[in-house]
Parts: sequence; C-alpha cells; structure tokens
Amino acid sequence: MDSYVLYDIIRRILLMLRFYFALWASKFAMWVYKLRGQERNDRPGLLAFKLCPDFLKHIKKPPLVITITGTNGKSTTSALVNNKLVAEGYKVSFNDWGANLHAGYCLNLMRCVNIFNKVRYDVSILEADERTLDKMMGMIEPNYIMVTNICKDSLRRNGHPEFIFDIVDRTFNQLGDKTVAILNANDPISSQLAKNSKARRVFYGMTDIDAKPFENTVKDIAVCPECGDFIGYNYRLYRHIGDFYCPSCGFKTPDSKYFAKEVDLENRKMVITEDGKETTYPLISDAVYNSYNVLSAIAILREIGKDKEDISKFLETQQVTKIRETCEEFNGIKYYTYGAKSQNISAASTVFEYMAKEPSDKNVVLLLDELQDKNHPTETLTWLYETDYEFLNSPNIKKIIVGGHMFLNHKLRLLLAGIPEEKIVCVEDEADIPNYVDREGIEKVYVLFEIDCVTKARNMRDAILNKAKEEAK
Amino acid sequence: MKKIELLFPELCNIYGESYNVEYLKRSNPENIEVISTNHRDTPAFVTEDVDMIYLGCTTERKQEQIIEILKPHKERILQLIDKGVIFLVTGNSPEIFGNYIKDGERTIEALGIFDFYSVRYMDRERHNSQYIGKYGELTMLGHRSQFSYAYGEFENNFVDIERGIGMNPETKREGIHVNNFFATYSLGPYLILNPYFAKELLAKMGLETTLCYEKEIIEAYDYRLKELLRTLHY
Repeated sequence: MDSYVLYDIIRRILLMLRFYFALWASKFAMWVYKLRGQERNDRPGLLAFKLCPDFLKHIKKPPLVITITGTNGKSTTSALVNNKLVAEGYKVSFNDWGANLHAGYCLNLMRCVNIFNKVRYDVSILEADERTLDKMMGMIEPNYIMVTNICKDSLRRNGHPEFIFDIVDRTFNQLGDKTVAILNANDPISSQLAKNSKARRVFYGMTDIDAKPFENTVKDIAVCPECGDFIGYNYRLYRHIGDFYCPSCGFKTPDSKYFAKEVDLENRKMVITEDGKETTYPLISDAVYNSYNVLSAIAILREIGKDKEDISKFLETQQVTKIRETCEEFNGIKYYTYGAKSQNISAASTVFEYMAKEPSDKNVVLLLDELQDKNHPTETLTWLYETDYEFLNSPNIKKIIVGGHMFLNHKLRLLLAGIPEEKIVCVEDEADIPNYVDREGIEKVYVLFEIDCVTKARNMRDAILNKAKEEAK
Repeated sequence: MKKIELLFPELCNIYGESYNVEYLKRSNPENIEVISTNHRDTPAFVTEDVDMIYLGCTTERKQEQIIEILKPHKERILQLIDKGVIFLVTGNSPEIFGNYIKDGERTIEALGIFDFYSVRYMDRERHNSQYIGKYGELTMLGHRSQFSYAYGEFENNFVDIERGIGMNPETKREGIHVNNFFATYSLGPYLILNPYFAKELLAKMGLETTLCYEKEIIEAYDYRLKELLRTLHY
C-alpha cells in the first residue's frame, strides 16, 4: 500500500476517534449540567468544539436544519418557528436562551444525536450570530438560512453593516445551492445577499402601513451600493427598512413571495398574500419590528410546507418571548422589562421610537451599559451619539431614569437631545433608581435592558414594584 | 461667521462622528455656519475659504471612494494645511492622508500628504481599546475600534499616549498634528470625549470658548478620566 494512502487512512481514523471522544465527553458534560439544573449552558458545546474544532462537520444533522441570523429579530423569529414545530409534535433542538455562537451550535446539534452519532431529532433551529457565520455554516450546511435584516450593531465586534454583509454573503457563496436564502425584501442591505451564489432566494416584505417612522441620525445605509446615488423610499417602515429604490440605477426592493399587504397593529393582525391568495394572521405585539418577526417566521414555516390556517391558529397562542419582554401590574400601573440592547444602536433607537409612539404616559428606566463585559474596562460612549436619544423627547415620557457608571454621559446626551432637565434623573448607583420612579400620573414603567442582563432587569423591575407596594401599605 | 465644512456625513458618520461638528455649532450657534458636503458635490473648501474641515470614520469601501473624491484636490488640501486651516480627521480617515493602504494583496494608493502607510487586517478580530495621552498640557481620551493600523515614524504626532496604543501596537505616538491639522484613530464624538480640546478648537477659530452644557460635559470628562486611570493599566 502506498505510504501516502496509509497515512491518510490513519489520519482519518484519528480524526474520527477525536470526534467521538469530543462527542462522548461533551455528552457527559451535558448530562452533568442537566443534573445540576443547568441545561441552558453551552459549555458542553464549547468543550466539543475545543476537543474537535471540526465537530460541526462530523456530527450528523437532522433532516431539517434552519439557521436564523440577522442583526435584530432572530431570537423572536427562532422562538416562533420552534414553538410551531414543537406544537406539531416534531422533536426540535433549539437553544431558547440565545447561545448563538459555535458553542451553542455544537450543543444544539449534539442534542440531536445519540452517542453513536445517530440522529434522533427531526429539526435543528440555529439562531446564529452573523459575525462568525462564514466560519461555521460551511460545516453545518443548513437547508435554509434566513437573514432578518442587517443593521448597525456593536462597533466593537461587528464594525459596520458592510463588513457584516460581506461575511453573510461569503457564507451563501460557500454553500451555493445547498441552502435556500430567505431574505427581507425591504432591507436594502440584506436583500442583496446571495445574489452571486447558487442559492435559491425567497423574499418577504411589507406594504406601507403609515408607520410614520422617525428619521435616524446615523443611517444603516444611505447610498446605493450599485452606483452611489442616494437611496430613495416609496415608504419606510422603520430605520432603513421600507420600499427602497435608487433614482439612478435599477437598485430597488425585490418582489416578495410573502407580502404583508395589510398590517393592523392596533388590532394585531396582518394579511399576507402568497401566490395571489390572502391569509390573515395574528400578530404578537403592536410594534412594527415584531410584526416583521411574525412575517419572518411565517415565511420560514410556509417554505417548509406548513399549512397557512394552522400557522394562523398557532400564532393566536403566541406572545413575545419572555427573555425580551415581561410585565407585572400593581395599582393600575404596568411594570415592564423590555429588551433594548444599547451598543446595538439600531435596536436601541427602534425601542426608543416605540417608547415615544406607544401612547401611554410612562417612566422609562435605562439599564443600558456594558459593565457586564469584563473584557472591556471602560466602555465607549460612541453608541450614545449613534442612538437617537432625541426620540425620548416625547410628551408621554414623563421621566427618564438612568443608573450606572455612564450616568453623567447619559445626562449630557439626554440634555443634548433636548429632553427637559426636570424629566431627567441620573444616578450613579442603580440601587437608587426605585426611589425616583413615579407612583402616580403614569400608566406604565419600562425598564429597558441589555439582552444579556435579563435577570438584572427583572430584579430592577421587582425592586421598583416592591417599593411601590411598600408605599401603598 | 466661521465656516465648518462637514465632509460626506452620509458616508462618514458611522459612529456618531457628525456630533463633533454639531457640538461645536451648539456651543456657538450664532457664529458658526456648518457646510454639509455630500460625496456627489465638490467640497466647499475647493472654491472658498473655510475655517475648519471635519472628516469622520467610514467603511473600507467608502474610504477608497473618498480617496478618489479627494485626489483631485490634494494640492488645495496641502495649501490649506500650510495656511493653518483647522482639520479634524478621526477614525480610519487619517489613513486617507497617508501614502497607501494595504489590504491583503491589494495596495490602495492614498493621498500621500503624510509619510506613512496603513494595513488592514480584515480577517482578524477588530482591535478595541481606549487611550489616555497628552496633547500639550491637555489630557486627551480616545476610543479606538479598528481593523487596521498605520506604520511610519509619526514624528508629528498629535497625542503622546500614556496608556493604550498609538498608530499601531508598537508605538505610543498617536495621530498626526501639523499646523492645525489634527488626526486620530479615535472614533465617534471625539470632542464630547475631550471638551478641553473642543474649547481649544473654538479658540483657534477666534470664538468664545464656553461649551454647550459645559458643567455637565466637564463632569462627565472628569469622571471618565478617573475611571480610565483606574481601569486602564497599559
């Protein structure tokens, strides 16, 4: 036997042994974590990846793998798709707490197989971070990749939307016709993905809903990527999402297979046309961006052959995932935790816009800083000036309360945004925040929080609530 | 009336950079006129006198586009630098004024106004760090977040770094300072980060130097400086 062939056989055997060792070790770790009540921990996945860097290549995949990526909306969309498939009786692997990096993918797919690498799940739903997509999806080869949108995100990690676009586009080029690209027709950035790949492209979009979107100071995209002229809009829904065109070339919104022709946010329903036929679906919230998340989920579910009426009935049972929004009520005031993401400035600005447009009289508490990021001793203040704090200058927002080490920067930014000084409370110690929340004259209190700080936000909301209860005694 | 030209805000306002000019205007609204020039128009500085020119951070593709837009005006830019017109150039835009930018196998010819070159490392993790440094008597703060570094002697640097890195990890020399040309890799609202430097720019333009919300911005600066001195160790 040729020595090269022998060497290759031995190498393959060793690689396979390494994979099985990683699979068994990480399965054991997963079992230990489960015993300790820590199922929502992706460390077993990380262990698999460390022991076998191409673990994702060797692990067997379920018959259906769906990847959902994009700057905003991927958690809600993934959760809806997961819930629907679970409700139908499918065995679905899904990290419902996020875990959208390589460790999370390893954990997700490891769950789908037994110790002999035999598939025992029907579906894997991978919520995927877009920053590392090109390094991971080539090994996974998902049947579908949805990109909800590409917007401004954390500059420290994601740089800028053009950089992210290139990563996601490279992913489609690598995968070619092994995947189907499900894209947001109304996003002038992500709708241009997979143009030069062999992937089938499917679009979903939305009609003009008279959203009266505010104008963002920092744009996700301002000029045509084809010719450099300024992008125009027949209508805009939020941020750069809308029916766009370039006045100088053929750059424009692609035609949608799934088109929301009527959206009634107040009554929470949406009519979608598909091949000329209309279906009415319920919405899970009154926010425009959440109606997009529902539309995204419908597009995926329809692509994989789910029945329209079944989807519609299922959506009636759904609400926004609890890691994004929770609510408690006391003495006629509703106390919310509401995910905002600070350094993801597109999400923060969109939530600020919602705070202004949601008509209730309210207090807004900002728990927006990245102090939890231990790798970063003192955070930048760029995001404060990319985010549209001006949107918070609204008569229904009675008070804005900010705590944490960025309090003086927040105060300056709020003043520069034109917020009257008497509406601003900025304190260094977050524990002082409950003392400043109004107990009357408002209908709602929103605690806006970093999505990595769900527990911190709930603790703050509960402290505010408890203070109100104490005072009511 | 002093004129500040804000160059290409549709391309160079990716991290809130335009707030540098906005803040100067807000500090002295009656005596500052802002000329906002988009990338399809000829810059105002080509045909008229301006007191200050600002160019902010941009994407790699747009950076190359801006080099091509500014190339025909290189002599005019040199003339304005010699005349002492204020330039403030932040983020990755200082690279536009160097000799060239290397991006893998590609070499992008830049304006060649200053003798240095830059290298993009797009396949590496983005470099993020803060700096504390000195510009004359002023203690300057900066935040960098970048794919590229610049290499050269940088004898005419803007900031002497005390903590953090300079134009690349091997130097403590940060930015460029020639006459009133100021460039730094620090991005975003640099003047909000450095209110005393904002005052100096207003003074250089012959304007009254009281800042908009001066008490609040100085308090924020002092707090941040203390925090950085506590947390930044290199």
